[in-house]
Amino acid sequence: MYYLNISDSPIDVNALYQKLKDPQYGGIVTFIGTVRQWTGNIETRFIDYSAYHPMAERQLEKLAAPIEAQGARVVIEHRTGHLELTDEAVFVGVAAAHRGDAFRWCEYLIDTLKKDVPIWKKETDTDAVRWGD
Amino acid sequence: MKLNVKLFAMLQEQLGNVVTVDVPEKPTADQIKQAVSVSSPNLQQLIGTSRLAVNQEFTSSGSLDVSPTDEVALIPPVSGG
Repeated sequence: MYYLNISDSPIDVNALYQKLKDPQYGGIVTFIGTVRQWTGNIETRFIDYSAYHPMAERQLEKLAAPIEAQGARVVIEHRTGHLELTDEAVFVGVAAAHRGDAFRWCEYLIDTLKKDVPIWKKETDTDAVRWGD
Repeated sequence: MKLNVKLFAMLQEQLGNVVTVDVPEKPTADQIKQAVSVSSPNLQQLIGTSRLAVNQEFTSSGSLDVSPTDEVALIPPVSGG
């Protein structure tokens, strides 16, 4: 069963990885998004994330359920609130019988999360405050 | 018909948590967005690229079966991850 969580608590990468381990799976792919300092010439100091609860959780369920229906396991956690450089903002993990499906679904999940899940970042850079990418 | 529209992110910062708009019965998403942007022309472009959600589901095109008791939200372009 999938595990989906959006909260202000720091992401415990190892604890989430443990949720993916299971004898039926032979391939686990994880993506971890972290707070980056430089985007071209723009220097980021910190990022604040906010979400529309519980719509964001419902959107994650819609992404995860069809993948789980094909026999894989999905673990997604997104952090909200105040994040400093190098903090983990998002964890997406897929465990599948074989690596091909795990790679493909993990990429699909993070790509779709970035388009369809109502979460926003407010980036405080050294020169300005910016919403979004 | 008056609808309360929830706002998020930059829209929330500029306009507050909720705005009340007056729209016709069975409005389209564009009509609701237009009603929100009337009072804030400087946000017209951002509102134009925002999506509408009713009861926490993104809406599709066409007129919406929406009433003042429904939860209506304007979702600016998301940027999670």
